[in-house]
Amino acid sequence: MSGVSLSKMTKRYGIVEVVRGIDLEIKPQEFVVLVGPSGCGKSTTLRMIAGLEEISDGTVKIGDRVINEVAPKDRDVAMVFQNYALYPHLSVFENIAFGLRIRKVDKKVITQSVNDVANTLGLTEYLERKPADLSGGQRQRVAMGRAIVRHPKIFLFDEPLSNLDAKLRTQMRAEIKRLHKRLKVTSIYVTHDQIEAMTLADRIVVMNDGRIEQIGTPMELFNNPVNTFVAGFIGSPPMNQLNAIVNDVDGRLVAKVGNSLITLPKIKALANSSNREVIVGIRPEHVLLQASATSSPIAIELELVETLGSEALLHTQIAKTPFVVKAETRFGDVSHLDKVTTLHIEPDLIKVFDADTGMALATAIQD
Amino acid sequence: MNMNLYSRGDKFFAICIMVLVGLFTLSTLYPFIYIAAVSFSSGFAVTSGQVTIVPIDITFAAYDRVLSDPMFWNAYKNTFIYTFGGTFVSLLIIIPGAYALSRPQLKGRRFWNFMVAFTMWFNAGMIPFFLNMRDLGLLDSYFGIIIGFACNAFNIILLRNFFEGIPDSFTEAARMDGANDFQVLWKVFIPLSKPAIATITLFCIVARWNGFFWAMVLLQDEDKLPLQVYLRRVIAELTDDEEFVSSTVNALYSFETVTAAIMVCSIVPILMIYPFIQKYFNKGIMLGGVKE
Ligand SMILES: Nc1ncnc2c1ncn2[C@@H]1O[C@H](COP(=O)(O)OP(=O)(O)OP(=O)(O)O)[C@@H](O)[C@H]1O
Ligand SMILES: [Mg+2]
Repeated sequence: MSGVSLSKMTKRYGIVEVVRGIDLEIKPQEFVVLVGPSGCGKSTTLRMIAGLEEISDGTVKIGDRVINEVAPKDRDVAMVFQNYALYPHLSVFENIAFGLRIRKVDKKVITQSVNDVANTLGLTEYLERKPADLSGGQRQRVAMGRAIVRHPKIFLFDEPLSNLDAKLRTQMRAEIKRLHKRLKVTSIYVTHDQIEAMTLADRIVVMNDGRIEQIGTPMELFNNPVNTFVAGFIGSPPMNQLNAIVNDVDGRLVAKVGNSLITLPKIKALANSSNREVIVGIRPEHVLLQASATSSPIAIELELVETLGSEALLHTQIAKTPFVVKAETRFGDVSHLDKVTTLHIEPDLIKVFDADTGMALATAIQD
Repeated sequence: MNMNLYSRGDKFFAICIMVLVGLFTLSTLYPFIYIAAVSFSSGFAVTSGQVTIVPIDITFAAYDRVLSDPMFWNAYKNTFIYTFGGTFVSLLIIIPGAYALSRPQLKGRRFWNFMVAFTMWFNAGMIPFFLNMRDLGLLDSYFGIIIGFACNAFNIILLRNFFEGIPDSFTEAARMDGANDFQVLWKVFIPLSKPAIATITLFCIVARWNGFFWAMVLLQDEDKLPLQVYLRRVIAELTDDEEFVSSTVNALYSFETVTAAIMVCSIVPILMIYPFIQKYFNKGIMLGGVKE
């Protein structure tokens, strides 16, 4: 197994830079997910690694080999496309065997390999069918089969599940995870579904506008987003962000949001602040409905309660800013949630970002 | 068609269309029927104007006369050579040409496409073309006829457009699988383009089969004449043959029935090809490979 390392990798179309010098080290056997809003350059990054797009600047290494100038077929990578790209005129068997046939692999070996792969993916009974006669999930599996049959060093996935319905997507997600556990092939996976990112990734790379905003394990990104962009991207629903004014009152940091005062965790960068503008980040699931010993109350205007079953989303406003809360229902009963007027916030679960740069101010330190 | 689902206006419209299509079909079909009927009728019946739809005094005399001429069989053979050789060479040029012109990475793609399209509207004209063929030593040869008309801009552009409609991910997937351009063309594009290629093949075959003018101009040697030119010769010869044209003795076949018999012989093979190619026309071959 090989790792992949990108250094200052750049893509320009004419004078427009769509990928702006990305540095990324992917370890052997790692499952890395690229997420980011539409148009941020995820696919372009992946396609440069695949060799389908020329690299304008910087280098890409697979293992120790620089592959900038290497043809796609010699990079030993396999890609699963969003639209599957199955050959409609070939049977499932021939679709999976295509790459091996091109490489003039021995016929017996081909039959053996394709059958093995079909077995792994539960496609054995469909081998003689044409893609048109398969369901969406089965086609998706054939597309994966085509990638794994060659035993490549790297798997690339470009939004492979985005054409499936929600249920099938969950199922295929688990299947991809299982497959990775088994085959342990280094994988790079593009998605803009952050649940896919959270569940599949060893590490997530959050991209925005051709740059990497943050790289980290799902929990690192969830707990310690480096800026408001990542905070707003990871988590579902994402972190609430409120504009606030911070004052240091006798060593106790207090943020004023609307008319409420919220106690903040101890943050060095905010020591001795007076009237400093910040953005306070609070995750929907970190809000308390009952006061605790350390929490501060905050007044809200409740607009709407959405029931999801065991959980409910409270859409509220704090100082004219939307604020979402995730709360437990009582076995689906939300009558107690309809009456909420005050929320309670635990200082240690608050993130604080600089209002100008959006950068996190040294995440809460417990001393 | 369940007419109950249509409004009155729609029904009226549908009926009008059917009537028009019916009339059109009749008007194109009738000449065929007439010629066939004439070819099986006696010369006398035709001259006296009795033949309209069915043969009168059925006889094979006209065919007997046509098929017993060795030059007829020779012309037949030549037409097959020109048609199949020509179509083969045409496809050999058109398919890779269309593929190249459809590739985004082709350097100067717009220029090349323009150059090909240009020939659809402008060409040097007959005399320069003839002189060109002469100077290349392509007069009076099978090869000249086959190669001289092998490339057709319209067909190239037709196929290029079809190729451009094939999703890029097919090409990309094949490239990642290690296929080079020839393999992409051969294993992916051609199988996916069967309907388009069938259409073009039919165009080529029909054009070659009916090719008349240039064959007449470029070929002197009687042995190399295709059927259409032979047909013209026979008609001209028979017309010149006063005795034959005016003879009433020869009631079994006449100028008209012999001409009709040659026509039937020259039409039947091309009619028989169509059903073989037709099956590709209504096949939704792109179905299911990519998810829209
Ligand atoms: N051939 C091209 N010429 C110019 N710009 C291009 C070209 N291809 C892509 N781009 C631009 O590059 C940017 C990145 O595109 P890319 O496909 O990588 O986005 P993405 O992150 O994959 O988005 P999505 O989530 O919508 O798939 C986009 O702004 C796009 O408009
Ligand atoms: Mg994309």
